[in-house]
Amino acid sequence: MKTSDFIELLVADARPVRRLPRPLVRALLWMLLPAFVFGVLALSHGVRPRFEQQLADPGYLLGLASSLLTGLLAAVASFRLDIPGASRRWALLPVPTLLVWIASIGHGCLTPWVPIGPGAMRIDEAARCFATALLTSVPLSVAMFAMLRRGWPLSPTAVTFTGSLAVAAMSAAAVSVFHDLDASAMVLVWNLGTAACVVAIMSYFGRSLLAEKRSTYSG
Amino acid sequence: MIDARLRKPELRVVRVPDVDPPSPTTGDAASPALKEVDWAILMAHAQAGDAAAYRRLLTEVTPYLRSLAAAAHQDPLDIEDTVQETLLSVHSVRHTYDPARPFGPWLVAIAQRRIVDRLRTQRKRKSNETPITDEHEALATHAASGPEDGLDAQAVRDAIGRLPMGQRDAIRLLKLQEMSLREASTATGLTVAALKVATHRGLRTLRRLMGQSGGEQR
Repeated sequence: MKTSDFIELLVADARPVRRLPRPLVRALLWMLLPAFVFGVLALSHGVRPRFEQQLADPGYLLGLASSLLTGLLAAVASFRLDIPGASRRWALLPVPTLLVWIASIGHGCLTPWVPIGPGAMRIDEAARCFATALLTSVPLSVAMFAMLRRGWPLSPTAVTFTGSLAVAAMSAAAVSVFHDLDASAMVLVWNLGTAACVVAIMSYFGRSLLAEKRSTYSG
Repeated sequence: MIDARLRKPELRVVRVPDVDPPSPTTGDAASPALKEVDWAILMAHAQAGDAAAYRRLLTEVTPYLRSLAAAAHQDPLDIEDTVQETLLSVHSVRHTYDPARPFGPWLVAIAQRRIVDRLRTQRKRKSNETPITDEHEALATHAASGPEDGLDAQAVRDAIGRLPMGQRDAIRLLKLQEMSLREASTATGLTVAALKVATHRGLRTLRRLMGQSGGEQR
């Protein structure tokens, strides 16, 4: 078929389309869901014991703020990379806050009020943490990939990784808001462990999901 | 042997954006920057459903896409197929373009992806091919010149003629005329999925028919 005829076919199908919102707007829209989940958890479960005292602790605040900010910036990066022509360097956007977050967890584990050793793990608390992480990460992951599939990721790996990081950071923030982890090694396990698991699982499924999405447009 | 340009497609394509700036079909002396702004405005109108703006945009970007494809492909058919695949992708993802951002990088990213995809397909196809030697040539000639060859071809033609209409069209277009699924879809008005199903069923029916005729001959 001649290209001019092909163009006419495309023009005949030129229906109005709903433009994708800007990446920041999409990220903020996505953040409404974690806000909703946090609200539901706060009402049903209540925040962790001595939450007000914890808010006065700069170390805790820094960790919480950096994980929330990592989530937001990773979501912005993911939605930006989801559009053709975006530089892959957008994947580096959440790196500074990610480093601060990791450093704050690491620092917490080195201070005397976080004993790491036998007896530091509590099974009942671990089960509750797992439930919170699951309740947060599953809906956030579904929403994230549903939104990402509206775009056209040229680099599914980078998009999946940043999207997973956004979900992981939010899950970790939820765990630290709703569970008393400061007195055990679980602060390390649940913050970094949850994040690593979410990133690994979403990367495994998400990459093929987004790659498949891209190929559906290849004609 | 795999063509040297297929070994590292990305390296070839990295140079694609350096191809000369878009050449306006109207022949005006607009600078590339102005042209890109023009295309961004046209795409904004196209997103709102303006068919005239969309036609003008696609017509104007085609020579540019052709020059990008020509930097990676030599066969004119490959170049034109790549252009059409890029136009189809542009059409499918036009909702992802933000008129506040430059149009060029968005378009080039899509074109690069289609060019790389085509190079990969070619490389895969070539890696599955066996070079024809003189020995193969002699055997093939001998086989083709055999008296039974004509009979087999006639039997296949007869069997195709006995297929139901949908299956017959699918086999003729996709297998005999070697059209792509998209071309056959455009020619018949059927969806790609329907064509795949018709082809699968057609081949199965053909096998059955050929088996029967073989049995009858015996």
